[in-house]
Amino acid sequence: MSNSRTYWNSLEQYNNDPEFVENAQREFAEDLPVDEFLAKEEASQSSTSRRDFLKFVGFSVAAATVAACEAPVTKSIPYVVKPEEIVPGVANYYASTFFDGVDFANVLVKTREGRPIHIEGNKLSPISKGGLHARVNSSVLSLYDSGRLQGPTVKGESANWEKVDSTIASKLDTVRANGGTVRFLTSSYISPSGKKAIGKLKDSLGENADFKSVTYDAYSYAGMRYANEESFGKAMIPQYHFDKAKVIVSFGADFLTNWLSPIEFAKQYSDRRNPSKDWMSRHFQFESNFSVTGTNADVRGAVKSSQLGLSVLALYNELAKKAGAATVSMKKIDDDNNVSDKIKTAANELWSNKGSALVVSGSNDKDTQVVINAINDLLGSYGKTIDPKTEVYLKQSDDKAFVELVNEMKSGSVDLLFVNGVNPVYSAPSSLGFDKALSKVGLTVSFADRLEETASNCTVNATPHHYLESWNDFNPKTGLYSISQPTIRPLFNTRQMEDSMLVWAGEKDTYYDFIRKNWEKDLLPKQSKYSYFDSFWNSAVHDGLIEVAKSAGSDSEESGKASMTFGADVAKSASVVSNAAKSSNWDVELYMETSMGVGNHANNPWLQELPHPVSKVTWDNYIAMNPEDMKDENGNEVYPIKIAEKYPAKTAKITVNGKAVELPVIALPGQRRGAVSIALGYGRTKAGKVILQGDQKAGDQKTIGANVFPFVEVVNGTMQYVASGASIEPTGTEYPIGSTQIHDTMMGRKIVNETSLKTFNKHGKSVWNPDIEIANAYGKKTPVQKLDMWNDHDLKIGHHWGMTIDLNACIGCGACVIGCHSENNVPVVGKDEVRRTRTMSWLRIDRYFSSNMTKPKAKEEGIGKIDMYHKMEVPSDYPEAVYQPVMCQHCNHAPCETVCPVAATTHSNEGLNQMTYNRCIGTRYCANNCPYKVRRFNWFNYKADYKFTGVNPSQDDLGKMVLNPDVTVRSRGVMEKCSFCVQRIQEGKLNAKKEGRPVKDGEVTTACATACPTNAIQFGDLNDDNSQVNEISNSDRSYNLLQEIGTKPNVFYMTKVRNVDEERVSEAVKSHGGSSHGHEGEESHGHGEEEHSGHEA
Amino acid sequence: MSRFYSKIGNVKVLMHACVLSLFIALSLQVDAQDGKKLFRGNCASCHKLEGKLVGPALSGVQDRWDSKENLIAWIQNSQQYLSDNPGDDYAHSLYEEYNKSVMPAMPLDEAQVNAILDYIANPSAGEEKEAGAGDKQMVAAQDSGEDYTLYWLLGFLVVLLIVIKVLLDVKRSVKHLLYDVKGDEGFEKDGEVQDFNWSTKEKLQHWAGRNKVLVALMGVVVLVVVLNVVWQGLLGVGVYQGYAPEQPIKFSHKIHAGDNEISCVYCHHAAEKGKHSNIPSAMLCMNCHQGIQEGSRWGTEEISKIYEAVGYNTETAEYDKPKKPIKWVRIHNLPDLAYFNHSQHVVAGEIECQECHGPVETYDYPMKQYAPLTMGWCINCHRETEVKMNGNDYYDDLHAELVEKYKEEGIEKFTVEQIGGLECAKCHY
Repeated sequence: MSNSRTYWNSLEQYNNDPEFVENAQREFAEDLPVDEFLAKEEASQSSTSRRDFLKFVGFSVAAATVAACEAPVTKSIPYVVKPEEIVPGVANYYASTFFDGVDFANVLVKTREGRPIHIEGNKLSPISKGGLHARVNSSVLSLYDSGRLQGPTVKGESANWEKVDSTIASKLDTVRANGGTVRFLTSSYISPSGKKAIGKLKDSLGENADFKSVTYDAYSYAGMRYANEESFGKAMIPQYHFDKAKVIVSFGADFLTNWLSPIEFAKQYSDRRNPSKDWMSRHFQFESNFSVTGTNADVRGAVKSSQLGLSVLALYNELAKKAGAATVSMKKIDDDNNVSDKIKTAANELWSNKGSALVVSGSNDKDTQVVINAINDLLGSYGKTIDPKTEVYLKQSDDKAFVELVNEMKSGSVDLLFVNGVNPVYSAPSSLGFDKALSKVGLTVSFADRLEETASNCTVNATPHHYLESWNDFNPKTGLYSISQPTIRPLFNTRQMEDSMLVWAGEKDTYYDFIRKNWEKDLLPKQSKYSYFDSFWNSAVHDGLIEVAKSAGSDSEESGKASMTFGADVAKSASVVSNAAKSSNWDVELYMETSMGVGNHANNPWLQELPHPVSKVTWDNYIAMNPEDMKDENGNEVYPIKIAEKYPAKTAKITVNGKAVELPVIALPGQRRGAVSIALGYGRTKAGKVILQGDQKAGDQKTIGANVFPFVEVVNGTMQYVASGASIEPTGTEYPIGSTQIHDTMMGRKIVNETSLKTFNKHGKSVWNPDIEIANAYGKKTPVQKLDMWNDHDLKIGHHWGMTIDLNACIGCGACVIGCHSENNVPVVGKDEVRRTRTMSWLRIDRYFSSNMTKPKAKEEGIGKIDMYHKMEVPSDYPEAVYQPVMCQHCNHAPCETVCPVAATTHSNEGLNQMTYNRCIGTRYCANNCPYKVRRFNWFNYKADYKFTGVNPSQDDLGKMVLNPDVTVRSRGVMEKCSFCVQRIQEGKLNAKKEGRPVKDGEVTTACATACPTNAIQFGDLNDDNSQVNEISNSDRSYNLLQEIGTKPNVFYMTKVRNVDEERVSEAVKSHGGSSHGHEGEESHGHGEEEHSGHEA
Repeated sequence: MSRFYSKIGNVKVLMHACVLSLFIALSLQVDAQDGKKLFRGNCASCHKLEGKLVGPALSGVQDRWDSKENLIAWIQNSQQYLSDNPGDDYAHSLYEEYNKSVMPAMPLDEAQVNAILDYIANPSAGEEKEAGAGDKQMVAAQDSGEDYTLYWLLGFLVVLLIVIKVLLDVKRSVKHLLYDVKGDEGFEKDGEVQDFNWSTKEKLQHWAGRNKVLVALMGVVVLVVVLNVVWQGLLGVGVYQGYAPEQPIKFSHKIHAGDNEISCVYCHHAAEKGKHSNIPSAMLCMNCHQGIQEGSRWGTEEISKIYEAVGYNTETAEYDKPKKPIKWVRIHNLPDLAYFNHSQHVVAGEIECQECHGPVETYDYPMKQYAPLTMGWCINCHRETEVKMNGNDYYDDLHAELVEKYKEEGIEKFTVEQIGGLECAKCHY
């Protein structure tokens, strides 16, 4: 609390005497006779020489240094009134909800001493079920973004709320008196109370005003809504059940990381990807870009983005033939990887699994979605794998209404425009000319946390709270209500949008009271568990969500829908789809990337540094092109395919519909030839300092990436994120790329052990997951587990921590990487350092492409070893891809431990490979000796070096608040690596000790395991007979990475099993195939070597 | 070091025995000693023996009431008493006098109230016993005794120097004598007196030339001493044992924890819950100091600083002034690289606060750092301290496994070291 009293030095000051004011500006009361002093004769004859002077200075510095040896006095300031729930050093968790118009998740916010530091999933959530998305758990950092506005602005200048309110009130009064057009432009908005708050404003304007809300999302799902309206009479999105589908066919829908409700779908999907369960789903993916979902598919067909509609029609025709329905006419698909056959297979399997089949499409084209609906209707999916009774409200954009709004704005008829949660100046199709239209609106009011592209063009920015500072409620789907609660006092002078609405509507209630009243009125009667509102409310706030019975009113509506009959004209839609398909070079697909999404979080360095799951490129967007397309007709590389520290990419100018951007071209095997894809969400210009890259001191900083939203076109009333007829001209300009992985294939080694479901079901472990054996000089083979150079650590006693990673469940999304960064204070290093392979991530996700060349094939074709390995390095044109999260393997015979000259890395009796920073002298021997390359060296003092000022959150006072106080922030010159979240282990053990009970399985877990949306990562005590990790690590699928070198890791990987019909034996078995002894019996199973040709029906 | 710890160990046994015997003695009879405790626990926040606090002074309370039964009933539930006895004028006048604020009902049985009344009647009874216990605690808490070796060495050095001086004087006198006897010739012939006219430097050079081995040995000794001094000095860098900075409030642990026997965790309650042992919030001080407005040592001067912090207006008894946090000077500063958890030691390890913080209850102002807080000090304790496994289910399996492992040694009790307490990642992460 500041002292508002003012004291005066003198009466002159009190009277504001002009002489006093002048003197107050000067350091000395009188002018110093500097010239006089310098002109003196004596000065030149002084006996104090320059050297003497230096001696004095040197002595003073030394003396000051010695004097500074005394430790500084540390102040400790306790609370004056301690909040009841805060115990210093003990974390509190609060249930809350993340929704930014794109991603929805029920979360738990971990706070320490009243500041949020980490976000975990809420296990009670029927949507996210404890899982997270990288864009969700990184949101805690955006709270401490120093780029946030600290208060409202009027005309770009900071203002106070009185001014904002009076500016808006005068406009509203005019509207009330004279009538006028008021528009509320928002991203998908699902707050029931918020809608009522907006309604209050509408009501307060009276009959004269024309008030309308328009929903617009940067990445629109309007096509689906229109299609459902046409097919079933209601513009809505139903609930999908990937866990009930035995056959899943997706046309360009990246449902595991981006499409619709990815956390929920990833959970559902992975539930059915366990080969040991009674059935495992089969997944077909047809797409142009190699998406994360595509990499997980069993069968993938690469189709040009402009022809995806044709492949949908092809599937419809196949199914219609079986069902006896009329087929539709269609153009021929431009096919180079057996897509037609794959579609036929898909159709057969879908048909034989009627009722448990699901077909989805990522297209925003209404007609494509109508055909998809028709397919699902043929398959009887409605009511089975698609639940139309449960409506998903997460995506509500209405592209037609948005276009209409822009036209209204252009005509100058909009008097007042509110912009909430969207940034249309950045993200709207440039053909609409939103920025020009905006200037014709009477008064523009934005609700943005910074003066971004749109807000900077608006008159008033009523800066809202961060979601971690606000109360709100959400209705993500029928019957589910969730709550977000503040976990910190607002950091700045901000006010929630809904509160502003209530103020402007003249309501007295705060939004918190408003929500409570609303819940008491609307929701309390819908449930029967609680009769008193307070207990109902407290339970909802505690759990973060509440499920209520579907209301009677809408129930009749729902039951009407249950007998949903497909009523659209397929033939008409099909002809539109067929006519839209083109066959020209350079189709372009604009896709949402796992980290950047639509660019809402561009100033979040954690996300910027999160590698793209498939390409492993950080910080930039780029033109993803098939490597074959990067060569000219003579086979010379126009763009470099191999990119590394010293091998930059080359850029190209890509022109779509007359708009051009320059971007680097990156090789992406699996990308459909003749088509490219570019990530949306980059090229923000007014997001903050993080997106500025380059030398800060030299003033040579540029924003990274390029915005490709202008390429989006409105076709048939919906935004189209695909375009054809683009031209791509190489510019020859070199462009450095920060990529975390430059090696693409496994070169025939058992790194990711993979097999097919057929082999898995038919044969024993020795075929698809054999133990590796080492032969001695006499050829006697011994399993590598039995060979040892060292004495064992005694790990039988007490805990023995271990981790299992199910490669079948891992979808490569990267939520674990962000979870790890947040938990362990991992520094952000920026693009330039990533390029130099100095990324600091403790946990990385390796991605491997398959290659056409295999060892048996080389033997068959008589290819020499060197040639074979050369060819093995090259991924096939349309490869399969696998992911493998790699962190410190906590080897029980760790190569790093034996080479440390100062014993800074040692083994604990609980199986942990401990890293002691204060002992480390930075020889880096350990990193050189680590076969997994998981040790990271602090090349710089990331928390102070100017090079990282822009990117590293620990460098600004606000960003520092996100640091986990239980984990040391490492300094320059020390090694660091995954600790198995030892701080969590210690905490779990301590809690058990204090309560006098054994540690429960699942109680101690790592940040990565908590964040995982598919439960691929499990952590626990291997010595506990009943623990999950014990069971999994002893199962047949389990193996250790680089088992042959005998490091005996505590991390166990589970063999990946792809649901394909061919036989696939382990790489290890195959490589033995050439030797005269060994698994000859199994060799006969090796007829599946053509492993990457896809599925043969 | 180990001697020091074994002593601490002995002292602890003694302390435990002391406390135990006290406890047994007390549990056998409800006496004034119990009364004092009960008084402190139940009454002292509102009543003093002499002088008004929230409620009236209690000294002579029995004389003011006509019947002891009524008094006991009143103490147990004054509101009930008032409604049951509308005729008791004294009780009603008291009620009126204190603005009709009712004394909360006390969950005390008759014996306990009697014990309190006995204590009020004769507050000095039982002091004797308490003083006895206190003395033992004082003894227990005292440091392990002075180290006299250094004094002995110094004394010896002084004697040695005197002897050397005397011998040198004798030698000089002899030389003079020789010179007188032999004259200049003798001076030239005889090496013994040759140096008589030399300067001190020449004499020294001559002497050093003749005693090379001795000089070399002395050189080595000096080097070792210098190195040792430098080394010890370096070891002391960053060690602030005995650090006792001035604090914004002259808080005396002796008065609170010693004289008034307030439990450590009453104020430092987070020590049982989390890693920090908190400095109490100023509002917590007000639990007692709303009543106790004058201290025994500094009067109102120091206590008024609490009021300033919490914004308490003693005139109106309202918190109507702005709050100002107290900026204490932190005494125990562990480096950031070390993780220390109080609850681990206090709850799971059942370590007394005094083992690391010293006899805090005897420390007047200012509070000081008792232990060196060096890693060697931590490690040493982890080597010697036995883990309290008995009665904690967490350790059941571990204990059985350890007994099996150390079957040959036949040990059944294990130190922190034996369960991995010396491993780096127990404290550094």
